[in-house]
Amino acid sequence: MEKDLFEIYQPSQLQNPSLLVGWQTHDVGKLSSKVIHFLTEKLGGQKIAEIKPSGFFPLAGAAFKGNFIQVPESKFWACEKSNLLIFNSEEPTYEWYRFLTAILDFAEHYCQAKELYTISARPSLTAHTTPRRILAVYNQPEFQKPLQGYGLEDMTWEGPPAISSYLLWAAERRDIPGVSLWPEIPFYLAAGEDPSAAKLTLSFLDRRFNLGLDLGELDLEITNQYEKIAGLRRQDTEIDEYINRLESGLSLNEEEQVKLAREVYEVLGKRS
Amino acid sequence: MGIKLFKQPKLKKPELFCGWPGIGNIGLIAIDTLKGVLMAEEFAEIDPWDFFYPEKVSIRDGLLKDLEFPSNKFYYQRLKNRDVIFFIGEKQPTEGGRMYATGEKACQIANLVLDVVEKFGCHRVYTSGACVSPVHHTMKPRVVSVLSSDKLAEEVTRYPNTILVSEMGGRESEGVITGLNGLLLAVAKNRGLESICLMGEIPDWLSGSPFPYPKASKSVLEVFAEILGISIDLTVLDEMTDQIEGIVEKIYEGFPSEIKERYDQRKFVAQAKPGGITEQDARWIKEHINGFFKKGGEQGGERSV
Repeated sequence: MEKDLFEIYQPSQLQNPSLLVGWQTHDVGKLSSKVIHFLTEKLGGQKIAEIKPSGFFPLAGAAFKGNFIQVPESKFWACEKSNLLIFNSEEPTYEWYRFLTAILDFAEHYCQAKELYTISARPSLTAHTTPRRILAVYNQPEFQKPLQGYGLEDMTWEGPPAISSYLLWAAERRDIPGVSLWPEIPFYLAAGEDPSAAKLTLSFLDRRFNLGLDLGELDLEITNQYEKIAGLRRQDTEIDEYINRLESGLSLNEEEQVKLAREVYEVLGKRS
Repeated sequence: MGIKLFKQPKLKKPELFCGWPGIGNIGLIAIDTLKGVLMAEEFAEIDPWDFFYPEKVSIRDGLLKDLEFPSNKFYYQRLKNRDVIFFIGEKQPTEGGRMYATGEKACQIANLVLDVVEKFGCHRVYTSGACVSPVHHTMKPRVVSVLSSDKLAEEVTRYPNTILVSEMGGRESEGVITGLNGLLLAVAKNRGLESICLMGEIPDWLSGSPFPYPKASKSVLEVFAEILGISIDLTVLDEMTDQIEGIVEKIYEGFPSEIKERYDQRKFVAQAKPGGITEQDARWIKEHINGFFKKGGEQGGERSV
């Protein structure tokens, strides 16, 4: 373990915790950020350490997004009662393998983490009224079996890997079992938020770890979002037709997809 | 940073032939073809994860089956009169979307390659690449050499169709061999190894094209065959060359007649007296021809003349 890579704030009291990893980069529907924020807040997470940004992120100046300075943060949170170790970060710009190794080093050697869960999301060509699915990727068949009763669906895919897959692969090399969770998000909610997908993901984690979460506030967000989109459908027959088609399992062409995504993004006030 | 040695072949003063991608993949194609012709055997590999992001993941029925990285492999073969090691790097380790390796990662991988081959007593390193030149595409590309020391000059100029970079004429013989095909030579020289870069000429207007330039690879390969005292069946390269020549000819046919006429001067001038066309002509041709490719390579390439 490269100790110089870490800033440690307090000792960990966790006992063989489960490691949950969320990425703020390429955060479709802001699902990862939302789930991690919800958990750290509701479970009383304490920041216990961070990976220092030097060497992993460009530090030639300060990036800003909207009106705000963006600081690359890569922090570990301990939720002691639930025995969860949570890691939340931007994807590094450089030295990916060293960065992923640092996450696993800290989790394994400092906290004796026993398993890994990564949280990402993927856009899908479905309507927001369609029930969400969580697709899952496991790094060991032995870990796939005990999770089969949770309604996760197996993913099949080939192509460029996301950093979650890279982390899952790195964990397997250490014999740490892991799963990547990929809740599906209707493509026209991908630029904003999708409280339905967040709720489904949190429900899974709640059942898996017996967290006792109250997800009521998400129901309010879902109702609010559905009402706004219903209003848009009433005002704009074209949008209504697009969503009707998606609800019937039909597809939209690229131009229609762009229009639907733009209109929904506008009506949700750029933030759900 | 790891190296996997699958085998410990007994080699006698092997020479290293090293190839990474570059302009027209001239060097990589030449060295990879040579490796294939000689049926060289894989014996070692540099762990790729310290240098590269994986390129492909395979997930089936919910299980992560494989993660593929660009490969960095060593091969060896024992010939009648010498032993050879090949190193083929599928990609140059880069940061920020550049085509060529720069900085710390480049030095690390160059040193790792040399660490491996020096264990086997390697004393000489060959790399290959592109020499971007004001030549006509119908001319046979020459092989332009850059050496680690004077004492290699006499040997190299005995090779067929090969000149020293200082013999290019018309320009000062200064430049940069960009990326690892160049950097490896510098690191090897620092370690006291003989190092030779053999670059196949590519017409300047083709240096930014997205396709390979096997015609120049063939020139380089002919020199490698001479060095190793072997004959090589170049049929595969000939077929590839014909295919690319067809594409190049089509583009050339599309040139306005005025450009074609001026560009064609290279047929009569450049080969006999390299760099003989005027600066003004070269600039004029380049200005008009470069527009044919939107996707340009990095300026200068391995070596811009």
